Amino acid sequence: MEFFTVNDIKKAFTNGEVREEILKGINISLKKGEITALVGASGSGKSTLLTIAAGLQPASEGQILFEGKNINAMNQEQIRKIRANKFGFVFQFAHLVPFLTVEEQLILMLDVSETKLTKQEQKREVNRILKLVGMDHRKKAYPSSLSGGEKQRVAFARAIIHKPMVLFADEPTASLDSKKSKEMMTLIRELTKTLNITTLMVTHDEEMLSYVDHIIKMSDGLILQTDESTAVHQVIS
Amino acid sequence: MSLAWKEMKKNKIRFLILGSIVFLISLLTFMISGLANGLSHDNAALIKDLPNGQFYMNEDADETYNLSRIDSNLQEKWLNGQEDAAALSIQMGFLNDKNEKQQSVAFVTSTESKWFENVKPGEVVLDRSMEDKGIKAGDVLTNNQFSGEFVVKGFVDQKKFSHAPVAFINIENYKEMYRVEEMQLIYVPGQDKAQEADGLQSFSKKQFLETIPSYSAEQMSLNMIVWFLVVISGMLFAIFFYMMNVQKIGLYGILKAIGLKTSALFKMMWTQMIFITGIALVLSAALSQGFNMIAPDGMPFTLTLETTIILSMVFLIIGFIGATLSGIQIKKIEPLQAIQQGEV
Repeated sequence: MEFFTVNDIKKAFTNGEVREEILKGINISLKKGEITALVGASGSGKSTLLTIAAGLQPASEGQILFEGKNINAMNQEQIRKIRANKFGFVFQFAHLVPFLTVEEQLILMLDVSETKLTKQEQKREVNRILKLVGMDHRKKAYPSSLSGGEKQRVAFARAIIHKPMVLFADEPTASLDSKKSKEMMTLIRELTKTLNITTLMVTHDEEMLSYVDHIIKMSDGLILQTDESTAVHQVIS
Repeated sequence: MSLAWKEMKKNKIRFLILGSIVFLISLLTFMISGLANGLSHDNAALIKDLPNGQFYMNEDADETYNLSRIDSNLQEKWLNGQEDAAALSIQMGFLNDKNEKQQSVAFVTSTESKWFENVKPGEVVLDRSMEDKGIKAGDVLTNNQFSGEFVVKGFVDQKKFSHAPVAFINIENYKEMYRVEEMQLIYVPGQDKAQEADGLQSFSKKQFLETIPSYSAEQMSLNMIVWFLVVISGMLFAIFFYMMNVQKIGLYGILKAIGLKTSALFKMMWTQMIFITGIALVLSAALSQGFNMIAPDGMPFTLTLETTIILSMVFLIIGFIGATLSGIQIKKIEPLQAIQQGEV
């Protein structure tokens, strides 16, 4: 079922008298529970498309339809509420709050998303998610004492603890080595499937494409090709 | 979850340094203010400690009290018509102690009044600071313009005029010393509005203080120092909070990206500012009040609780405005910009 569609999105920046078009009319649809990867050379517009779709910056033209509503026409507060309650984010860097423990990072997300849970329920949910990402033994640790891989796991746990409908992941494995990248992608695939979270991901690492359902190849602000990942089919079969 | 508290708990040193700076600045302001008030009190405690009221002097005295001469009949009429009113005169002069050493004093005499010491002819009541100069009750003092002698009857606390200790003497002795029959001033306590009087000019207590030579200039300089310190402190507060906010732009961006309200970020900043400033002010106020109690007698230091509270409120308001102004950038932070900056 397509519940998230990007219709004819354009994005242009004006630098003095020079107008640069980053996105030149993009149309994509995301299917519930599936992982879509945006790939392409640097400067192809894939990260810009992801951040526009996530409501982190506005498009110059076009519509982002989420549950039938156009995010691109909403005010900042409406977008904030959607980001807090319906979306989850994982970035190239973990971007954890340096003064909160692993456990507190997740409780903060539950508070932000206005999930109506008691303190005890919050703790139970935090323990459950931390177990799923294999970080329950480090719940009292601060980010400064975590490795890069552990930080990304916590960032991922933070991104899904409030049960978002869409997960936006911008190069989530870029700061990890090959082994850790694969572990991270396995985790993302397993948990988004289990929790039925739709994922839009940007990656430049071809190895990671074996974990996604759909691949959208971009070049110079346009979609070149939309394919189902053959690699993932091979993995599954 | 209180983000403000969690951050302070984790970054104790950073907040301790910030708190120490606020503490030191506010302590400096309290101390300077105490010294300024002390000097001001030292200059005119005789007048400052009187209840609010009106002072009257001759219109043609050119607002200079020691040029004023109030007609005896007029004085009589005023003193009979006004309860608690007193006629008084003040003159700077010298007393010679038993070692023939001259001590600078302000001679004050008045008609019978509860606001001024009433002494018998040949007696003098001195400000207690004269005790530090070796003068004791019963000592005999002289004055070059006075044919007789003054016997020290006792001492009174905090009676200074133009930085000199006050010497209360009898009217008859005063008249002989200064060869005058008339008094310089009429003081009517409790009078909010001046009464119309032919040939007399009225002054509120504050206005009269300003007629004391050097008082206005001294007060202006001292007030300038205190308020300059307050303004500089305010600017320092704003700069420190600005620097803290700049360091946290990335963090604020990420918190905004995951959906935290901008108002929650402002609340976090205000909580930290009020907590740090509050503790720093309580400590500096306690320390300066403590110093107020143990300040050496020779050091003019007066810091009232009222002044401390007013200055503390000013600090809190300035800190709040400074933090809020520096926090305006929080509103401008784009989550995307913070994400692109890299790891917090």
